[in-house]
Amino acid sequence: MARRVAVVGAGMTKFVRRAQETGKELAWEASRAALDSCELTLDQVDAVCLTSAPDAFDGVHMKGEYLSDGAGAFGKPFIRTYVGGGSGVFTAIQAWYTVASGMADVVLAVAEEKMSSTQPHPQGAFLTIFDNVLERPLGPNLLWIFALEMNRYMSAYDLDKRDIAQIAVKNKRNAAGHPAALLGQSDITVEDVLGSETLAWPVQRLDVSPISDGAVAVVVASEEAARRITDRPVWIDGVGWNLDTTYWTNRDLVFPEYVANAARMAYDMAGVTEPRKQIHVAEPYDPFDYKELHHLEGLLLFEPGKAPEAARDGVLNRDGDLPSCPSGGLLGVGNPIAAAGLMKIAELYWQLRGDAGERQVPGTPERGVAQAWGDLMQVGTVVVMGRDGVSRSSGPSPTASPDTAAATSLPVVQTPPYATAGHPLSETEFRGAVGAVDHAVDARYEWDAGVAVGRFLDGLGEGRILGRECRGCGRVLVPPRMFCERCFRATDSWVDVRHSGSVETFSICHVAWDMTPLDEPELPAVISIDGSDGGFLHLLGEVAPDDVRVGMAVEAVWKPEVERTGSILDIAYFRPRAHEEPGD
Amino acid sequence: MLEKLERPDEVRRWNGRIPVSHRYTPGVAGDVFFTALRDRGVLLGSRCDSCDYTYVPARLFCERCFAELSADAEVGPGGRLVSFTISYTGLEGEPLEQAVAIGLVRPDGADAAIVHRIVDTGDEPLEIGQRMEVVVKPEEERTGSIHDIDGFRPAG
Repeated sequence: MARRVAVVGAGMTKFVRRAQETGKELAWEASRAALDSCELTLDQVDAVCLTSAPDAFDGVHMKGEYLSDGAGAFGKPFIRTYVGGGSGVFTAIQAWYTVASGMADVVLAVAEEKMSSTQPHPQGAFLTIFDNVLERPLGPNLLWIFALEMNRYMSAYDLDKRDIAQIAVKNKRNAAGHPAALLGQSDITVEDVLGSETLAWPVQRLDVSPISDGAVAVVVASEEAARRITDRPVWIDGVGWNLDTTYWTNRDLVFPEYVANAARMAYDMAGVTEPRKQIHVAEPYDPFDYKELHHLEGLLLFEPGKAPEAARDGVLNRDGDLPSCPSGGLLGVGNPIAAAGLMKIAELYWQLRGDAGERQVPGTPERGVAQAWGDLMQVGTVVVMGRDGVSRSSGPSPTASPDTAAATSLPVVQTPPYATAGHPLSETEFRGAVGAVDHAVDARYEWDAGVAVGRFLDGLGEGRILGRECRGCGRVLVPPRMFCERCFRATDSWVDVRHSGSVETFSICHVAWDMTPLDEPELPAVISIDGSDGGFLHLLGEVAPDDVRVGMAVEAVWKPEVERTGSILDIAYFRPRAHEEPGD
Repeated sequence: MLEKLERPDEVRRWNGRIPVSHRYTPGVAGDVFFTALRDRGVLLGSRCDSCDYTYVPARLFCERCFAELSADAEVGPGGRLVSFTISYTGLEGEPLEQAVAIGLVRPDGADAAIVHRIVDTGDEPLEIGQRMEVVVKPEEERTGSIHDIDGFRPAG
């Protein structure tokens, strides 16, 4: 049986646009602040769990190992985990099972991100999350995914942009009292968000969390060790994580079922049967404002489509019935990606101990949930934490004796420890820094289309759109694959599907991936293909941006046969469908 | 399902790259190290008394005990050769016109070693454990870079 596990300390650096500190130095500042907060020294740490973005992100190969000294891993068991944006919460889960399994009594969990090294824009490192063969030729921009999902969510529930923008306002206001925050602003209004630059409609500048540098660390301990270390441990009562399909254009973009699956796993473990009543404070993942609403619904705290109404009614405010992102979240504190997720665990730790200072939610919250999201935009990671009293007890600790606990009890730390580090560098200081080195990883890649997509591309060259039928689940898969990821069996046959479909969702994108403005906006869309159970990413044409609607019937416009090369670009674009297709 | 490729050149493939470069700034301890190298031509390390260990280049913290360190322990300019290699090929495996000697040198006063080129090797073969000294560029050529050091050379 899993041992009971608690968080007993936490620390973080300031989140800044560009830190003077190296990644190692940021990791050390946060780690040391976490250890200082519970008066532990490094030799009392048994193992270290670390997370940070993929190596390609900052061009440091074996980045986990590079950061290990700053994370306190010298001479210790060490593991780096990575699940994209979900990493920060997941590294707390990793620390949980390192302790729950009995492998270690005290674990330091560390999350670091230094996004400022990447030029000209960190988004460039994300472009390879798009399918190299089917999507990258379309010139995608990471914002597309968010804009497409946000539009789908808004149109499913007929939401106004104000419903979404109020979350950015709440979080930036919440962050105003946070000593580590990058974008706290007490006087921001919905009009400010609605008036900010449109990047990829419906996403505007202030809907998005900023590029940031920073690090967070928490100390996780077994029950016996936790009782020795603090009189106010905060227990990790439930953990859950879950993945949706890697084919994001085939996914339900309205409701994040994978978050719900992860939440159910965590709630079951924590004995939470009525989340809305039993969870008192939430830190859902908010890299974009709509994501907080999306995730609150995925966390089963609100019915699908009902989180915006709760926000309007003030339920999510710090003094509301279910405070959400009282930290200020990624939108207010900042988004050094992996670190931002672990910041949510740290915030729950401070909130549930009553140590959150100016940010403290009233009413002595006893149980909270933290959640993050990422991978190929498909993972949900969830942690339920509780104070003594509500936390599900695993019975008396087998070895802890009250005498030793009393003898080694340490003073209560009243103020959350924030490292003073995270010194911002100006653009001039950054460009002129002594000893700075510019470097590009000079690697080129050649990606094979593979069996299924190779045939799909051959089909496009012939003016056909091919799907693959799975007789196990009865679906016609587009894009095609040789195996069905649900049934986990070989798919059965090739099927010609229609050249028409409907707009599942769309965006009006005004910027390139490096945030430079485009001369003409692009209209990326997920097209659900008629005669199939799937669809793919493409561009819309022959339509004014303002005339595009979710659900609009569209048809493929092919390049002339002589110009086709067996590429996703053999379809020039999709246009509104004027009349019935032959055979309809 | 698995098909043997008879004509690999006919496989559909796409070429691409990750279109980013990086700018690395040297951090808190690195700033002090490179400034001292540029302005004074010296190697600065960081001493941790409790671990009895001197790092070089300087570091902000001791990775052994997590103590905060100062970048104020001047080490070198002499040192000992810990190990070396002589490289006859370049990154792509091409033969080099002039072989390059690379050494790991522990500067006097330091426990850590630095990797750099070995210059002015002369006719004597290199020997592990031999005395070395750092070769720093003239002041007017120094910019605050690891190249402010030309390398290490055998010392008499």
